[in-house]
Amino acid sequence: MSDLLKSDVDLEAIIAQADEDEITLRPDEPSLPPGEWMRKNLFSTPFNSVLTIVFALGALWAYRAILNFIFSENTQWDAVRVNLRLMFTQAYPDENYTRVWVSLAIVAVLAGLSLGLSKVGRGLSLKKIATWCFGWGGLIVLGVLLREPSVKTDASGESVFADANGVELVRDDLGSLAYANGDPAPSQGLELIRESFGSAMGNRTGWWIIGLLLLAVGAAIWFGLGDFRRRNTFVPAIPFGLAGVGLLVSTTWWYGWGNYTFSEEGFTYEPGELVASSTRNPWTVVFLVLVGAYIVGRAIQRTERAGTVRAITNLSWLLAPFVTFWAVLRGPVLDWGYVASVDIPLYLLFAVGGGLILWMLTNPHIGEAGRIIAVVILAIAAFTWISAFFGWFGMLQKIRLSILFLGLAALLAPNFKGDAKQRMKLIYGWLGFITIFHVMVTLINTPSSIEVPTEDFAGGFMVSIYVSIFTMIFSFPLGVMLALARTSRLPLFRVMSTVYIESFRGVPLITMLFFFTVFVNLFLPEGMELSLFAAVVVAFVLFSAAYLAENVRGGLQAIRRGQYEASDALGLTTVQRTAFIVLPQGLRVSIPPLVGQVIATFKETSLLAIVGVFDFLRMARDVIPAQTEFLGVRKPGLLFICVVYFVGAYAMSKYSQRLEKQLGVGER
Amino acid sequence: MSINDATTAVNAELAGRDDIIVCDGVDKWYGDFQALKGVTATIKEREVVVVLGPSGSGKSTWIRCINRLEQHQGGRIIVDGVELTNDTRNIEKIRSEVGMVFQSFNLFPHLTVIDNITLAPIWVRKRPRGEAEQTARELLERVGIPEQADKFPGQLSGGQQQRVAIARALAMEPRIMLFDEPTSALDPEMIKEVLDVMKELANSGMTMMVVTHEMGFAREVADRIIFMESGEIVEVGTPEHFFTNPTEDRTKLFLSQIL
Ligand SMILES: Nc1ncnc2c1ncn2[C@@H]1O[C@H](COP(=O)(O)OP(=O)(O)OP(=O)(O)O)[C@@H](O)[C@H]1O
Ligand SMILES: [Mg+2]
Repeated sequence: MSDLLKSDVDLEAIIAQADEDEITLRPDEPSLPPGEWMRKNLFSTPFNSVLTIVFALGALWAYRAILNFIFSENTQWDAVRVNLRLMFTQAYPDENYTRVWVSLAIVAVLAGLSLGLSKVGRGLSLKKIATWCFGWGGLIVLGVLLREPSVKTDASGESVFADANGVELVRDDLGSLAYANGDPAPSQGLELIRESFGSAMGNRTGWWIIGLLLLAVGAAIWFGLGDFRRRNTFVPAIPFGLAGVGLLVSTTWWYGWGNYTFSEEGFTYEPGELVASSTRNPWTVVFLVLVGAYIVGRAIQRTERAGTVRAITNLSWLLAPFVTFWAVLRGPVLDWGYVASVDIPLYLLFAVGGGLILWMLTNPHIGEAGRIIAVVILAIAAFTWISAFFGWFGMLQKIRLSILFLGLAALLAPNFKGDAKQRMKLIYGWLGFITIFHVMVTLINTPSSIEVPTEDFAGGFMVSIYVSIFTMIFSFPLGVMLALARTSRLPLFRVMSTVYIESFRGVPLITMLFFFTVFVNLFLPEGMELSLFAAVVVAFVLFSAAYLAENVRGGLQAIRRGQYEASDALGLTTVQRTAFIVLPQGLRVSIPPLVGQVIATFKETSLLAIVGVFDFLRMARDVIPAQTEFLGVRKPGLLFICVVYFVGAYAMSKYSQRLEKQLGVGER
Repeated sequence: MSINDATTAVNAELAGRDDIIVCDGVDKWYGDFQALKGVTATIKEREVVVVLGPSGSGKSTWIRCINRLEQHQGGRIIVDGVELTNDTRNIEKIRSEVGMVFQSFNLFPHLTVIDNITLAPIWVRKRPRGEAEQTARELLERVGIPEQADKFPGQLSGGQQQRVAIARALAMEPRIMLFDEPTSALDPEMIKEVLDVMKELANSGMTMMVVTHEMGFAREVADRIIFMESGEIVEVGTPEHFFTNPTEDRTKLFLSQIL
């Protein structure tokens, strides 16, 4: 454990150092005046000028088309606004919704702590803020000018129509269209009338103000600060970010987000009802928890304990998906009698018995007997799996897994031989692992108390994000193991891993998803069954691991021979060499492709819709358009999930760029 | 005459000590190419041996066989009374007794200087971390860079890196130190700082085998010089004998080329 903490501290040191280096090594490049910049970069040759103009026209056209869609009165944004809860958590019942809030609060605590504990980076440079203000201000002003005028409305807010000749129609007392002189309107050839350009501009005062204000702020920062040194002044980013989140949360108090929920009476649609009525309090609490955790983290950051707390926080991040999904959201119903008579005794057996065996195996004087015992345990584990296949001895799956884990821990034992302190490292590791494992299995084996109309309680964005996260967590170690096997000296490992990697990379993901959701249950021994959720996670994990393995292998191959020789010359064992030298260096090099793979997985979860999971995409594609209020309304929902996917993927990509820069990938 | 006397005197002095490395007819092939041809030599405790020879003569190959970074195929190598065979336990034992310093330093770039030094003592020697760090700081003091403990290798000069590498090897409290051209990758102004550390180490009584092209160092520090060519030991003798009165033609040719 202390070594874990230690390496974490080192990472922080690298990051702090890299930040310093950047300040000293990269002086600000002098910026050109805008005119000159444009001449140099956009219109340097006739060909470039043509390209610039063509591209600019294309971009303007696309921007205008998007704006026209977003602001068109035919686009029913209500379909999104009202269905937010459905899109994110699908049919998660109203009366259990506290569980969602608790999960969010857990995430908020961890996020706040992590932000607070992070070494304070340099934050945002004023120069960058100015550039953003210019960019967004310019976009908004441009948008105000480009967007087509809205449909003209009369005093009562109804759209105004004209006949084929362009003569405006009015509404009579009954609300039907007619000519101003009272003649009835023709039944065909009617068209909506749009406002004039002038009045459209006039009606967009709000947008004008926002856009011009941003431009003014940008200009004030840019020209007000004068010399370039001052432009590189930094303002802290995190408090600004938190303020942004606060602003978003505050909308629950004054904006009608609407509400469309599933409860005992079925779906309820409360148009115009402030979502605030049900969610503004929890949202506010979650936000305050976030801010509180941030303040606590900041306070701890200044103390000696920062490294320890940071390590615990990181470990909690790893556990949080499991705890929130299985213990909180799923609402497990524990059978306490069974827990007391079976689960707890089994757990104690493995915790105490396994601990004793490992204590024995780390005895410095055990010699050859240690290896033999480890092999025997692994052989027993292998036997229990084989017997499971033939259905010989029925036993709980978790017993088989526990024996396997014990065997693997026994293999590691020689690395922990030594004094009591050294030996306890392995014992603590084992106790921690086996506790988490047994608690999780016990929870997973319980029925869920959440009653939903679909097979799994998770749906919407919730299922997409959990599939991504579980895929990441499980495919990472699997991918690393495959990569190590593929670069191993033992031909058997090499061949097996190569076969695995090549076959899984050769199969389309969607086929794998169908295979696991449809066929696998037919092959599984009786009594074993994969739920839809488990099946898709397994398919994703196996698929993603093959790609991760190749990325990691690339990193491993970049390690110079001298590193292996130095480790060997120092007497490190193969396991130690791999854990302390090879993997840390190899993984560092593979960060960009690894994050690329994570982003790909996140986006590929949209395939879940095809195999029958009610995921985020399916909400927009099938569920919302089936509601009576929004029959056939797909586009707004689809655009919305695009935006959410984009924001997620973009954030990850930005984070990886930061990580890469901090770890100096490609510079060492 | 005087040279012969000196050689005899050295031999007499060495005779009282234990053999710590014994190589007996060591053969090593890379495919069809024989890199070592029946290398036979004995190194005594606390002896400093400098291995000289033209490029490709097998110097590196030989000293890398001694801690089994390379496997020899014929003959016997006995280090500190343990014969090097395929038995992994022997290899583990030897590697923790024999320190090695490489031409290209081979520090671990992702670990700080102090972690580079303490990693093996903690995990191989099972030292408590605090004690290992204490030792590491003393060693950094000894090699003259106590203030660099918390930096990363990439932030140090070549000479400093090589001194960290020496400290890293010493932290395992080895009985033997192997050096494979420790100064060849260094800028001239940094060579001296590394050689000074090695001299101090030699004076402290460490058994050392050094492959180097630094003739000044060889003359001043070596107890014996072993000259190799084409995978064979051509001549062995004290520095005085070697530099003033070599017997073999091949040695003379080599010396005429480099001196
Ligand atoms: N891994 C290898 N595979 C094939 N041949 C090798 C290998 N390593 C070394 N050799 C060959 O063995 C011979 C001895 O090499 P070695 O590196 O021991 O020489 P050296 O005396 O250390 O030379 P230098 O002074 O250039 O370092 C050389 O001819 C070299 O080409
Ligand atoms: Mg060499």
